[in-house]
Amino acid sequence: MQATETKPVPGLRKLVVYRETLVTEAGARPARPVQQASAAAVLRNPWVRTGPSRDLSEEVAQIAPSLARLLTDRLADALGGVAAIEAFGKAAIVGTAGEIEHGGALIHTPYFGNLMREFLEGESIICFADARAEAGQPLVVPLWHKTHAATRSHYQTVSTRVPDAPRADELVVVAAASTGPRPHPRIGDRATDPVITVKSLESVLS
Amino acid sequence: MKVRKIVTVVEEIRTEGGREVWPPARVAVVAAVIENPWAGQGFVEDLGPGIDETASDLGAMLAPQVLAALELPAEAYGKAAIVGLDGEVEHGSALIHTLKFGDHFRKAADATTLLPAVEKRGPAGVVFDIPLKHITDATIRSHHQTIEVRIADAPHQDEIVVALAAAAQGRPQQRLAALSTEQ
Repeated sequence: MQATETKPVPGLRKLVVYRETLVTEAGARPARPVQQASAAAVLRNPWVRTGPSRDLSEEVAQIAPSLARLLTDRLADALGGVAAIEAFGKAAIVGTAGEIEHGGALIHTPYFGNLMREFLEGESIICFADARAEAGQPLVVPLWHKTHAATRSHYQTVSTRVPDAPRADELVVVAAASTGPRPHPRIGDRATDPVITVKSLESVLS
Repeated sequence: MKVRKIVTVVEEIRTEGGREVWPPARVAVVAAVIENPWAGQGFVEDLGPGIDETASDLGAMLAPQVLAALELPAEAYGKAAIVGLDGEVEHGSALIHTLKFGDHFRKAADATTLLPAVEKRGPAGVVFDIPLKHITDATIRSHHQTIEVRIADAPHQDEIVVALAAAAQGRPQQRLAALSTEQ
């Protein structure tokens, strides 16, 4: 999981790559063996002590692209290449001296999101989670299909956690992905759903 | 051996104490979440047959994977067994404290020392620290280190998490005098 070195990310302290390979679930092997992974970068929050009127765009343009490159490289490396990735998601954990807006700045702008989508050959909006938290707090990152977001079989999550981050003046930025659906998906899809409305269920609801 | 999942974690430290660490310090962990071989059997007096069925296969599976994840030669190593709440800590110890298990890692890493270990019982999502020491000389202070691991949904009450850890170097910014300077 050591990809070739890319342009350095300003203020990067550490990088954690986590991967799960599911062998069995509920005692049975899934139809397709699936791997989930997350790549988390711990970096200095460039906006600590700058106040809520501060324009964030300069640092976003400076930091987010190399972060997108680094994290997607590591994800692809952990999961056997971009083509193997079917679902994706992203997250930011902001240390207690920062604003949630600082995490949003690094994951919700095109400097990160558009690049992550392009590097992972996706088309969907990337679903996300964010939190302000003490070091070591776990965060559940949602994933959905990278080209067909409404694909129900691919709604899944991966839990991410860096033991000693974020410090108060740090951010953890996470890119996460999966190579397939949940292990035993069997809750249908839009194409197979009956038409359900409040009216159609009147007898059940009353 | 019934495996539910395999978890791989790689940490790479780029800065420590405000100073750059170059090359980055790498530590890898590979953990297998398996069914406790003695689950539901009450107090089993002789753990030998269960050890024979599981320990060697487990060591043979995990050792090459943790070295592959590290992508560099290992200089320090350690192991862990985290037992789900219905099991005994002795069950975890049984799986990791025999040569049948550890020799796979020692051989693959060209190592000679005993593997430092953590054994404990806990709920799914429990955080555990794996201690690591130098692979050929456990007195080398620069290589005493720890990596923290958590698997969100393991171990279930009837499972055991068995893990191996490997580091490509000592602590980042290590600067303690060697043991020999005090003898």
